Amino acid sequence: MASTAMSPVRGQAGQAEDFVIRVEDLRVEFRTPIGVSSALDGITFEVPRGKTLGVVGESGCGKSVTGLAILQLVPLPGIITSGRVLFRPHDGSEAINLLEYERMGADMRGTRGKNISMIFQEPMTSLNPCYTVGNQIKEAILLHQTKNHKEAKERAIDILQKVGMPNPERIFGSYPHELSGGMRQRAMIAMGLSCTPDLLIADEPTTALDVTTEANILELMRELQQEIGMSIMFITHNLGVVAQMCDDVAVMYLGRIVEQASVEEIFYDPKHPYTISLLRSIPRLGTNRKEHLEVIRGSVPDPYTRVSGCPFHPRCPSFMPGICDKVYPEALHLPSSPQHLVRCHLYNDLNHQEVATSSGDKSS
Amino acid sequence: MVNYVLRRLLYMVVTLFFISIIGFFIINLVPGSALDARINQLRAQGGEVSYQEIESLKARYGLNDPIPVKYWKWVSGVVHGDFGESFTYQEPVGSLIWSRIGFSVLLSSFALIFTWVVAIPVGVYSATHRYTVPDYVITLIQFIGVAVPDFLMALILLVVASKFFHTGVGGLFSQQYQNAPWSWARVGNLLSHMWIPVIVIAASATAWTTRVMRANLLDVLNQQYVQTARAKGLREAVVIWKHAVRNALHPLIMTLGSLLPSLISGEVIVSIVLNLPTTGPLYISSLINKDMYLAITFLMALSILLVVGNLLADLLLAWVDPRIRYE
Repeated sequence: MASTAMSPVRGQAGQAEDFVIRVEDLRVEFRTPIGVSSALDGITFEVPRGKTLGVVGESGCGKSVTGLAILQLVPLPGIITSGRVLFRPHDGSEAINLLEYERMGADMRGTRGKNISMIFQEPMTSLNPCYTVGNQIKEAILLHQTKNHKEAKERAIDILQKVGMPNPERIFGSYPHELSGGMRQRAMIAMGLSCTPDLLIADEPTTALDVTTEANILELMRELQQEIGMSIMFITHNLGVVAQMCDDVAVMYLGRIVEQASVEEIFYDPKHPYTISLLRSIPRLGTNRKEHLEVIRGSVPDPYTRVSGCPFHPRCPSFMPGICDKVYPEALHLPSSPQHLVRCHLYNDLNHQEVATSSGDKSS
Repeated sequence: MVNYVLRRLLYMVVTLFFISIIGFFIINLVPGSALDARINQLRAQGGEVSYQEIESLKARYGLNDPIPVKYWKWVSGVVHGDFGESFTYQEPVGSLIWSRIGFSVLLSSFALIFTWVVAIPVGVYSATHRYTVPDYVITLIQFIGVAVPDFLMALILLVVASKFFHTGVGGLFSQQYQNAPWSWARVGNLLSHMWIPVIVIAASATAWTTRVMRANLLDVLNQQYVQTARAKGLREAVVIWKHAVRNALHPLIMTLGSLLPSLISGEVIVSIVLNLPTTGPLYISSLINKDMYLAITFLMALSILLVVGNLLADLLLAWVDPRIRYE
């Protein structure tokens, strides 16, 4: 279930579960004329095989960059400064560090789209307006699976059928602008799945869609996951979607993972003050109208300045002066559930099973 | 689509009709004409013969007719392929233009091909290597290309050609080929003379087009679908040339619309400096000398090329970008 990531106590969780992707201490910097911004500041996590990992956080916390970094597609001036991205193919062979591949080299290109594919937030702009949907899906198949155009077309129509397109032959010859947003996202998913990848990185795939379409797309992704047996890394800021889709959740703040646990624990027993605040800021049915929705005070700090100590401390409701603003918290495994990781000084004392703080109670 | 083209053709005819009326009227507003100069010349020689000749000239060219009658006479001639007669050259306008238009089109076509063949790859390179030394060098050359006036560049190239390459300069042929019949040697001689005017005519257009290509491609490279293409595992060359460049071509195609008329009038200054037998200088002199029929014929030719060019550009745009479909 939960990963054994964020090492110090690794192995304690029993047998090392099979993973598809294991990211270790990944760092990405954007070096611009105004300064250096650390988009990812040493993140470590695993996506277990066949499972779905949700990556959540506010805008600018590095969720999307994480996905792009796995494929070595971080746009300039962003560069990956250190870390490893271990990929283990489904045939059981040794894990490969993808960052050792040359960025635009044949090996890296052979992994993109074939073993790991990615779909993006904006279905309106992620398909090229100049080519038919079929052409764009066929392109990936021709690259990774077969050189035969006829066969590629058959496969493309097949996959379009699978993603629930009403008339796959017609859609194959349609241009993106002739399709609705939901249809385009289906086409994107078809493109992503056309080579039956081991991992699908879905970067906010339903953010631009209305809720009905969103529900359809999520349902479709779950079905296809069952069918193909792939893993999904689901990047989103929508906690409702996380609850529906994910097995594990990693909560990110300012380029770091602050809490990581199974989806149940994140929702029913969140530990990090940031996670707790995030969950409290979701509107709920049945709550009193006059009550104000809780907000996280302050806003994400300027990316070019470095916050000392815990990056969340200026906004944290449980801020402890002298510690939080001085020392960067280590990742801790909670004694009560070893696969639950949290980076917070509140839980520093491992002997205390239940830490009584103001943030300990949760609203559910 | 067929309906659209037919409708556009109809609009074109209407547009041209109004241009011809307005153009003809304005050209006739100017007092005097090239004919007056000749009449004065004849008067100076004196004598009855001359007087009769003047009258016959006036009658022949309908100089005393009101403008609408003149216009009607001219239009009914045009319908039969008779564009009137040039006062200054005393030759039919049609044959005057035809004898020169070949060189004009040849020169300008070469210039256009040169522009695109150079500007598109250089613009793409410049965009994909943004903020590197080669990009800065290209940018510098572009600004020079835009800033240096045509005639100056023509003069500089003339000097360079005669000093360092020892080729004959000016004109389109060396002396011995000037009036020779067509042969391979003559074609070779033509080509060896062409590079200077081609470069001069194309220089600023190339610089400008490179700039536009760079800016557009930079926009397109930020688009999500470019990232999608990379995420598929495509080679960078395919990502750029198949997915990005095609989406960056729109402004280049739109300039084609205004490019056709410049094919026959654009190289005026260069032609004068380099002494080229093209249509540009003829057009200018017809306006200066008030050579009515020659001027109006040129005006109409340019107008036709403009509207046709725009139609072609619109159709080409629809072909490149499937989102553009005319109803």
